[in-house]
Amino acid sequence: MEVPARSNEIALESFQFHEEIRQLMAPPPENASSFTALLELPHSRAVELLHSPERSNSQAVASEGPPKPYFHCPGGGGFGFPANSAVVGRDSMCSSFTVEANGSSQKVKDEPVGESDSDPHSSSQPLVSDPPVEDKAQKPGKRKDREKKAKGSAKKSKSNCAEDADKLPYVHVRARRGQATDSHSLAERARREKINARMKLLQELVPGCNKISGTALVLDEIINHVQSLQRQVEILSMRLAAVNPGIDFNLDSIFAAESASLVDSNFSNVSFPLPWSELQANMLRQQYQQQPWHLDSLQHPMWGREDCSHNLIASENSHLSYDSPANSVSMHSRAAENGVTKVE
Amino acid sequence: MDSYASFRESDPDTSLESGRKKRRKIEAESQSSEYGRTDVKWRSESAQRIYSVKLVEALQRASQSAAPATSRSTGGRTVRDLANRVLAMAARGRTRWSRAILASRLRLRRLRKVRKPSGSCSRPRKPLPAPSEDRKRRLPAVEKRVKVLSRLVPGCKGIPVTNLLEEAGDYIAALEMQVRAMTALTELLSGSHSDRLGSSTPSPA
Repeated sequence: MEVPARSNEIALESFQFHEEIRQLMAPPPENASSFTALLELPHSRAVELLHSPERSNSQAVASEGPPKPYFHCPGGGGFGFPANSAVVGRDSMCSSFTVEANGSSQKVKDEPVGESDSDPHSSSQPLVSDPPVEDKAQKPGKRKDREKKAKGSAKKSKSNCAEDADKLPYVHVRARRGQATDSHSLAERARREKINARMKLLQELVPGCNKISGTALVLDEIINHVQSLQRQVEILSMRLAAVNPGIDFNLDSIFAAESASLVDSNFSNVSFPLPWSELQANMLRQQYQQQPWHLDSLQHPMWGREDCSHNLIASENSHLSYDSPANSVSMHSRAAENGVTKVE
Repeated sequence: MDSYASFRESDPDTSLESGRKKRRKIEAESQSSEYGRTDVKWRSESAQRIYSVKLVEALQRASQSAAPATSRSTGGRTVRDLANRVLAMAARGRTRWSRAILASRLRLRRLRKVRKPSGSCSRPRKPLPAPSEDRKRRLPAVEKRVKVLSRLVPGCKGIPVTNLLEEAGDYIAALEMQVRAMTALTELLSGSHSDRLGSSTPSPA
């Protein structure tokens, strides 16, 4: 096992500590189900964060560790962790605020953020105290420990941090210079920070809100946006309902009447791969055998093509890892849209 | 709005398999950049695609189960409710509004069947939380708007402001995806429909 910085005691310690982490982190894909949202995300992120220290250490991952959520992303290793730079910057602002969260799993995001900061700044101390801290990882009280640990390096700032820290179950607010320190005003301030953070997110979401200042006006815009979206949905649903009767849902008749060549020609119109056509026709014939014949010749090709796309999509969806809805974990960050334009 | 049609049409072409790879690459790349954004999931192609598929399935079921004579299955309001329900299902029950949408239908059904004489079907309303020492919170302007917003987002009547804002964010993102998906779907269906009606394709006898 090669440790790059043998000369450094700290590196050795962190390596051992790192092994522990790795054991804990061992089966990331197993636990992915509890986090993977609609579309397979967070475990891949944590796994990737795992990858760099794994490369540097080339340590085999023990697989007996209990499947824990990714509390201890190997930021503690400090081994040239590629995402570290992106993460440290945020973290330095984060240690003073942890705000109420929806689900404990959201802690995951902040954990690596916090740990990676403590390392560069106070090297040996956090590494030593981290293992005991790890054990309590699942308790929200861990927040306090880390804050005390990172006291020296922590900057007392808000905004970005409050966004990230939004998801944590406990409120730990540090009073700033010149501000009252009684519990009420602290709680008030924490609450305000939460609200402001969420308002910021909403401002980014709603177009044209960035320039507006003032909570009331921004809320106005948000309300208008929601109302307009709901109206659009109504109009679209009426249009969809108008289109629907045109679609003959009696597929058996459609496909029984059509020859395979006709179906193929439809497919070529939308450039579907040809091998699908037989599969489609067979599937649909099986499904709708019982339907009576309502033939409308002009509608055959249309339905064939449209349902084709439907089935293609459906079969592709079966490949997507589409996890059970039973979890109360909220969504983790998702990859940015690749070319999908936002509705304005 | 044209972009949506083209986007939708190009989906089956390009991204059956490349889409999957694209998704994973993009996941890997942009992981660290977004932390608190739950709306990102609503922006992805696959979310829209999944929603569209589910919506089409539901529409088919609705139109099949209803008697062919009645127009109930394809009424505008029915379609809208159906679309909202599918959207709530797509949310996987993680948000309050989605659960409220799904639960409200159950509640309506139960009420129709049971027909309680008391008629008090409204869920117990929490009294307004007593104002604490928070002076800022009492701003009437903000309070009013918060109330209006809570009425707009389903299932968010008596919840604290922070949760409300979070629900609103997710709801907005979901609505936007819904609009995109339904637009694309409508264009796809109506486009192909008009195509077929326009061209006189002889049917094989």
